[in-house]
Amino acid sequence: MSKSLLVISRQAPWSGPSAREALDIVLAGGAFDLPIGLLFLDDGVFQLAPHQDAKAVQQKDLGANLQALGLFGIDDVFACSHSLAERGLTPPASAQPLGNEDICRLIDRYDQVITL
Amino acid sequence: MNTLTVGARALELDKDGYLVDLNDWSDEVAQALAVAETLELTPDHWEILRLLRQFYAEFQLSPATRPLIKYTALKLGPEKGNSLHLNKLFNGTPAKLAAKLAGLPRPTNCL
Amino acid sequence: MSTLHVLSHSPFTDSRLDSCLRLCGREDAILLCGDGAYGLHSPALHTKGVKVFVLAEDMQARNLLLPDWADSVDYPGFVQLSIDYDKVNTWL
Repeated sequence: MSKSLLVISRQAPWSGPSAREALDIVLAGGAFDLPIGLLFLDDGVFQLAPHQDAKAVQQKDLGANLQALGLFGIDDVFACSHSLAERGLTPPASAQPLGNEDICRLIDRYDQVITL
Repeated sequence: MNTLTVGARALELDKDGYLVDLNDWSDEVAQALAVAETLELTPDHWEILRLLRQFYAEFQLSPATRPLIKYTALKLGPEKGNSLHLNKLFNGTPAKLAAKLAGLPRPTNCL
Repeated sequence: MSTLHVLSHSPFTDSRLDSCLRLCGREDAILLCGDGAYGLHSPALHTKGVKVFVLAEDMQARNLLLPDWADSVDYPGFVQLSIDYDKVNTWL
């Protein structure tokens, strides 16, 4: 049984390579059938905001990529409720909102955690 | 630099033979790419190539094998969305070969 | 299950420590290194009641005093901690 991995993505989408790197880890893990989870925390929740235009800053469309998670076998996608509320964002359909206690238990449940 | 000559045009390819520019793709280009791979395109092949173009338009990603199978099953039904059918069409490496013929970048999460 | 959270950014310019404190469990501990060592000046860290370690050389370099609610470790101590805890979460 392979070890389970939780990736915590906490950087805004266009502020540097972190958001993309987190997604790449998750997709690669999914391709290898790893039990994998993805949590958006802090500015990472901005990745979930609708109607962003990656082309305006000559980037690849991260939002479109995130829609493919299910096809890559990644069904455990979460967003921090506190981070969403703090930024005035409504919980997106693509990620399950979790409170602090639940996130604490989530981190506990995985064998390994990578925070980017 | 690798190039693929289609009619009067010389199209740029990367070192693995994938189109550098997604927009260079056309039916003729797919045909030429298939010839380079000694593959004869049947309607079953075309169906998958168009599906891959659609996948890329939707997700801006080249799928690895598993997502390709899942997506094909979703769009064309399980009798086409399975590894047997796709392996048979694309010489056992559907994600890599089909992406190449469909003019997509090499799937990054795929060995 | 216990987690060792490793923080290397100053909590005064960055939200990592805040978020970590919000999410860390009772069995967890925090290891401060690099500018993370400035966390010793953060009242929030002290009041949360979570176990705190700081890398001795980073503390020394910044002339920080070790408060009675934290422990200092050297590099072998850091390695030992990462073995003692079930997993390490480095807040990169």
